Amino acid sequence: MSLMYNLESTWLSLKHHAFRSLLAMLGVVLGVAAVVGMLAVSEGAKRESINRIQQQGVDNIILHSEKPRINESGGEAIFFYGISKNDIAHFNSVFENVKTVVPIVEIRHKSIYVNGRPSDVILAGTTPEFLTVSRSQNADPRGRWLVDTDCILSEMVCSVGVDAARQLFGLEDPLGKTVSVGGTTFKVVGLLKNPLRSKLAGKNDINNMVFVDYETLLSIFNRDFMAVEANYVYVQVENLDYLKNTAGRIRTYLSEVHELPDYTISVPYELLLAEQATQRVFTIVMGSIAAISLLVGGIGIMNIMLANIYERTKEIGTLRALGAPKQTILVQFLFEAVTLTALGGLIGVGIGFLIAVLIKHAAAMPTIVTPGSVIVALTVSILTGIIFGTHPAWKAASLSPIEALRR
Amino acid sequence: MSLIQLQGISRVYGSGKTAVHALRSADLRIEKGTFVAIYGASGSGKSTMLNMLGLLDEPTAGSYWLEGRNVANLSDKERSYIRCRKVGIIFQSFNLFPHFSILENVCMPMRFAGLERKEMLARAAELLDRLGLGSRLKHSPSQLSGGQCQRVAIARALANNPAVILGDEPTGNLDEKTGDEMIGIFHELVAEGRTVVMVTHNAEYEKEVQRVIELHDGTVVRQ
Repeated sequence: MSLMYNLESTWLSLKHHAFRSLLAMLGVVLGVAAVVGMLAVSEGAKRESINRIQQQGVDNIILHSEKPRINESGGEAIFFYGISKNDIAHFNSVFENVKTVVPIVEIRHKSIYVNGRPSDVILAGTTPEFLTVSRSQNADPRGRWLVDTDCILSEMVCSVGVDAARQLFGLEDPLGKTVSVGGTTFKVVGLLKNPLRSKLAGKNDINNMVFVDYETLLSIFNRDFMAVEANYVYVQVENLDYLKNTAGRIRTYLSEVHELPDYTISVPYELLLAEQATQRVFTIVMGSIAAISLLVGGIGIMNIMLANIYERTKEIGTLRALGAPKQTILVQFLFEAVTLTALGGLIGVGIGFLIAVLIKHAAAMPTIVTPGSVIVALTVSILTGIIFGTHPAWKAASLSPIEALRR
Repeated sequence: MSLIQLQGISRVYGSGKTAVHALRSADLRIEKGTFVAIYGASGSGKSTMLNMLGLLDEPTAGSYWLEGRNVANLSDKERSYIRCRKVGIIFQSFNLFPHFSILENVCMPMRFAGLERKEMLARAAELLDRLGLGSRLKHSPSQLSGGQCQRVAIARALANNPAVILGDEPTGNLDEKTGDEMIGIFHELVAEGRTVVMVTHNAEYEKEVQRVIELHDGTVVRQ
């Protein structure tokens, strides 16, 4: 039987029972809309959290120095704490699977002065590998990032984050200018940009900091000023597969060497895995809701199809008398059911899309309607039509012609 | 060879004590190009006989030869195939499809026969024109009178150029004058060499037809 005929007869039937068909479709429409809308919200949240985690670098293990609370130290005052240079040397020399270890030390209680004006930009000391580990770039081709010779020669140079440069120098060209901290001046030799707008260990915006060589900074601001040798240490691993193992070894080592819990370890990759696990649970919950709503929708479709068939029994008998085989009747009613659910699915996707846009603007939550969710929603609505349309269609096809004509 | 030959056809509905014998071992021959009326009181089995002839029902026993082929006990697909091409059925209450135009109504059997759309529309228009409805092709059945509807039904029955036209009380819902018009059309069809078999309980049509088959309680009592 031709597609044309099925389209035509379906169209006429839908037109004839427009309101009834719409009501029957409603279950599928709302089910699909809810699924598409909720998936958009979950996808948006997922992308956002994954982005946040990836900004810190999935191949990094990040150590923070934390000042222990007084009661943890047994009332003893603490002057020095956190990850030490010894620890860093140990990571570099003993552990396998460690690509680089990048310490970062911040000068917290001294302001950076430019032309005698103070600012709240933070000065930090780090090693040249910081550039790659933090996924940053040298923003100005005329300038440069820190190099190993800066350490050897104790060069008084710095690289300024792009946002810090704007804050410190305004519209002036920062290259060649100087900044001073605690009576020491550094010459600006480069501009640093972090395209991901990452925050250092999730706290300070890299683009809003000034970086100088790690050893140089430590030798100038010695222990008179600083309680820590590194505020953060980024340990970048060679192979992600062994990241968990490496993190475990670092944990064990630090717990043995440090008497007090003066450090924390965060592993973005583990956070990512945990996030993905949460997402899986969410997806299962979503899937169950979708299944239930489509089940309800499917029952609605089955109901209206049975009513349609009851109403059109005589028509079915006539079609059979004119020479339509069972198969034609079966296909005709199945086609009608699938059209109803597919149409419901399409309307549902439209409404789901609107819901996503509304949530985005009203609740300021990121929402993303993925092509995947639309395809799944439509496929499932068509499947619903096939599953719940088969019984009524089969019933229609199985009517004996004389029984049907007697109505 | 007769166009239609029934041999010992019987039809029993139900079983055991409640069994209803609608047809009891009927033997019948109908030659090509005759106008036959099946006559009988209600419950005499005349509708069952027509359903048998139209392959809408299967006999409990016996054989049905249509154009030399035994068509009793075929599969649904085969019976539909023959019903579509060899038999045209006209109903008492017309049974037109109310949401389709009369042109589309006439096209319906041709769709099942798998004709090209163009061919189908041309033939449907030609048939309707012949039956005096050429100017109303796009009308829906509800816009037509009973007589006009039955003409559409006749056009539809003729669509696949069948050997037999079966009428189930085709004049039952029409007034006398319109009914006579229908009989006139049937005469024309018979003159063309078609075979028309009409079920009726109206004895008046006995004079009009070439042959009367009378049924009583499932048995052929006159032929």
